[in-house]
Amino acid sequence: VSERSFEELQRELEDVVARLERGDVPVDDAIALFRRGEELYRACVERLQAAELRIEELAPTDSGKA
Amino acid sequence: VASVEPVARTERKVYSVSAFNRGVARYIGKLPAVWIEGEVTELRRNPAWANVFLTLKDPRTGATLKVTIARRTFDRLELDLEEGESVHVAGRAEMYELKGELGLRATTVERIGEGAHLVALEQLKRRLAEEGLFAATRKRSLPRVPQAVGVLTGADAAARGDLLTTIGRRFPATKIVVCETRVQGRGAAEAICAGLRRLGTHAEVDVVVIARGGGSFEDLLPFSSELVVRAVAACPVPVVSAVGHEQDTPLCDLAADARAATPTAAAALVVPDLEELRLTLETCRRRLALSVRTLLDRDATKVARTGDRLRAAPRLLLERRRAALDRTGAHLQALSPLATLGRGYAIVRADSEALREASAVAVGTPLDIELASGSLGARVEEVTP
Repeated sequence: VSERSFEELQRELEDVVARLERGDVPVDDAIALFRRGEELYRACVERLQAAELRIEELAPTDSGKA
Repeated sequence: VASVEPVARTERKVYSVSAFNRGVARYIGKLPAVWIEGEVTELRRNPAWANVFLTLKDPRTGATLKVTIARRTFDRLELDLEEGESVHVAGRAEMYELKGELGLRATTVERIGEGAHLVALEQLKRRLAEEGLFAATRKRSLPRVPQAVGVLTGADAAARGDLLTTIGRRFPATKIVVCETRVQGRGAAEAICAGLRRLGTHAEVDVVVIARGGGSFEDLLPFSSELVVRAVAACPVPVVSAVGHEQDTPLCDLAADARAATPTAAAALVVPDLEELRLTLETCRRRLALSVRTLLDRDATKVARTGDRLRAAPRLLLERRRAALDRTGAHLQALSPLATLGRGYAIVRADSEALREASAVAVGTPLDIELASGSLGARVEEVTP
């Protein structure tokens, strides 16, 4: 989960919910899916709690003088 | 008059360098006067020199041409020309004999007016549009939550400030990579392209914003240059163009994947609103819990019904068996000889065997006679076979 982007995690979470809502999942799978959904939700929330704005300035180059 | 005669060495015709240059120079000198359009670079004027030198550059291909103009002629034009400006130059081709260099001997220089720029822009726009550079199908969607936002900006504190502040307010967990570069005047187009390349190939940057506040028509021209438009289209990550004000439509806007009227609007395009995102996530979680509960409830009901049926099963079976037994009993009843006896018949047995023929016994044989109710013991007195 950790090396995937927030966007991927959020999309998978939505997929999980959609599958459960469709309701054509066997019970065992449903419970596994629910656990996965919870995990994804927590990972998403964690990402949102991360720190503040980080700004990296690229050093000027002389490419502008071409 | 110097000659262009070959030097007599052998039977081979050989020219001196000067003679060759002179010959070519004369030939070139016969070419007609023309107007040439280009960007001024390397403008060198010295009051001590008789001529002013400059290089004209083709903004599309980078091709260059050396131009020489008499200093007095140049000064009389009072152009106050700066490098990077687009001009029309009238003149004739000229060969500098000593160096064998081709150049243009100019008689006049005109700064390209806005009108000429607009015509050129229109043409460029049409050409690039025909090439499909502005097609809607080329537009890429922006990441919902970028890993890092690349910001290409000039030394324009307002545009940069607006963008960074708004991004920080909407989505504080953002990484921003800023590339500050020249955005107007000489070399701006090249600098913008270089900046785009740096941001576009940055490991983390997955969306680039070009933020440039308002400016004069000429100030914004680099953002309509073919170089920049192509660089925007070729950028490996999506580009949001926030250049100039609402009414300006530099061509890079058309090639960009999204256009924002202001840096603030650009910020809203590239990062989500944290609060909204939190709400979306909470909704998602509620739906997750609700859907799994619904699913389990539905299953539990099904299980309970099955259980009921399971428990009911033996009783049903028993009842069915009993009914079957009752039917068999009735049948049996019908077949029972006792019913026949009830109608007045009797069973006569000798030696426990039912008698069917009189000849099977002799006079004196003891008989057992069964009636519907009770039985009699008797003895044979007479046999009639």
